[in-house]
Amino acid sequence: MSNTIKMPTRRLVTRRQALAMTGAAAAAPFILRAGRAIAATELVLVNWGGDAIPNFDNAFAKPFEKETGMKVTIDGTGPTDGKIKAMVESKNVTWNVCDADGFTSENLGSKGLLEEIDYSIVDRNKVRPGHAFQYGCCSYIYSYVITYNSSKLKQAPTTLADFWDLEKFPGKRTFWKYMSGALEAALVADGVPVDKLYPLDVDRALKKLEEIKDHIILWESGADSQRFLREGEVSMGLIWHTRSTLLERDTKGEVKWSFNQGLACPSSWVVPKGAKNVKETMQFIAFMQKPELQVELLKSMSNGPANPAGSAMAPADLAKIDPGNEANWKIQIPMDVQWYGKNYNDVLNDYLDFFAS
Amino acid sequence: MATEVAAGTSRRKLLPIGNRQDQVYWLFVLPVLLCLLVFFLLPLFQVFWISLSDPAVGPDNYIKLFDNRAIKRVVLTTLRICTITTVFSVVIGYMIAFTVAIAPPRTRSMLMFAILVPFWMSVLVRAFAWVTLLRSEGVINSFLMSFGAISTPLSMTNNEFGVLVGMVHYMVPYAVLPLLASMDGINPSLIAASRGLGAGPVQSFVKIFMPLTKPGIFAALILVFIMTLGFFVTPIILGGGNTVMIAEYITVQMQQTLRWGLASALATALLVVVLLLIGALSRSMDMRKMLGGG
Repeated sequence: MSNTIKMPTRRLVTRRQALAMTGAAAAAPFILRAGRAIAATELVLVNWGGDAIPNFDNAFAKPFEKETGMKVTIDGTGPTDGKIKAMVESKNVTWNVCDADGFTSENLGSKGLLEEIDYSIVDRNKVRPGHAFQYGCCSYIYSYVITYNSSKLKQAPTTLADFWDLEKFPGKRTFWKYMSGALEAALVADGVPVDKLYPLDVDRALKKLEEIKDHIILWESGADSQRFLREGEVSMGLIWHTRSTLLERDTKGEVKWSFNQGLACPSSWVVPKGAKNVKETMQFIAFMQKPELQVELLKSMSNGPANPAGSAMAPADLAKIDPGNEANWKIQIPMDVQWYGKNYNDVLNDYLDFFAS
Repeated sequence: MATEVAAGTSRRKLLPIGNRQDQVYWLFVLPVLLCLLVFFLLPLFQVFWISLSDPAVGPDNYIKLFDNRAIKRVVLTTLRICTITTVFSVVIGYMIAFTVAIAPPRTRSMLMFAILVPFWMSVLVRAFAWVTLLRSEGVINSFLMSFGAISTPLSMTNNEFGVLVGMVHYMVPYAVLPLLASMDGINPSLIAASRGLGAGPVQSFVKIFMPLTKPGIFAALILVFIMTLGFFVTPIILGGGNTVMIAEYITVQMQQTLRWGLASALATALLVVVLLLIGALSRSMDMRKMLGGG
């Protein structure tokens, strides 16, 4: 606040130096652009940062460069819907492939913000039925799973309805701030059969959530969900199985979880509209369908292989944490990507307003 | 910076044209002005345009600001939190500023150090520090429970209380600085004269000292209020999803639900409110003085 500016008494930069610097600054973009034109095709994969940068690099980028000579850079910016839209509308698309939610492909694709997936290059048979979307292809499977701190609860919660049983399972609960899983949990607890959840009855779900609203806090980032459970801020939560795996390991089993009634969701590779080198990008997406590469990611990140062949070849210790493993898949609820793609934007606002009121 | 230099030249002459030396100064300022135009004013205008054109051309987004239930709630929450934060920050800030103002030089510099260190610390670090203190198994709750003052942990975070604590803590230094500036400007002999004429210490304070700090109080109130309007990190970390303020709502509409028109309208409205407040502030006092300028 007290940043009084004193005029410099001596000249800090001579005129000639200043001119030289201006000249260099003006020339720099041309020099840099020329350099890029000479280099071979380079692709940019955008994910959510952190450990995902080296792990995606090792699992996908390095093997791809080895095979094709094309370099792939991993950018951890976090491709939110808003950032993808901003980039497409700026007409200067520097991203090739983004690590997005499955329903993002439907949501953004229908708004003309994504390239269609070229299924003459990408193989629709290397993902589960229904996971080859028009504007995205399943990249990996993750799940919102019931996770609890065993030092806070005498018995294990096993169903979504248990979130509503405050006597048996005291303490706060946590759901995702951006909705996935919470409405499904409410409807299951309200007696809707698991196979008749979609289309979600939002009003009914919010009414059911009202019953335990004072006991709910929302996690924003994956790190939040870990913090809440590890520190005992909540006794149970519906969180990403990738984080549950880490929590169980870090707390030496004090935090426990299971796939039962988890919400299994496909993530998807999406390509922003107007991306450069679309054909090479499709080749890269096809390359990432290799089951052995996906098992690598299961090992490093707990991300379930999108390709069922990947799940089939995972060793037993990894199969346990793989949402795509047949035994685990059967006890989970598959997310209806089409419903989310159509309704997410509207319903998310209602959901956030519900908690803010 | 730019305003400082511009103000300096305009003081000498209203329109600095025609004087050779002043033309040279304008040349120095020109790059800054151009940068402001290209990187600040144009994008700002673009935001304004989006608010009128997305999804359709017209004032719909602005009408929504007034008849949408959710937005009304977010605006009211923001105003409530900002008002409470401002009042607490300025009251606490006043007490601190007064202590600093009357302290001997050595103590004063130590006190200033204690005020400025948190002032320079990242808002993220400060929010997480409060989480550590306030959470249900945190420092405060463990301490109170250890000798049985409470049996169940107090709910101090993931709610509005936590947000208020974090925000007041963040804003106190912003209240102290303008208050201290106005207190330092008070001639001590006025107090001495008041005492000499028979007023007690309380009376001297209430009748002489406090009225003289009014411009400082006003500046602190407005400055703190303006800054709290845009709070983002603190409510997210300490609010647990139960306290949504305008800045976070705008972000959700930009990043998640792609309602750019609505987000831009809300941002524009926020900007207008802030500009009006700054206008009120600059009418009542010298901005340069308040911000520590010569």
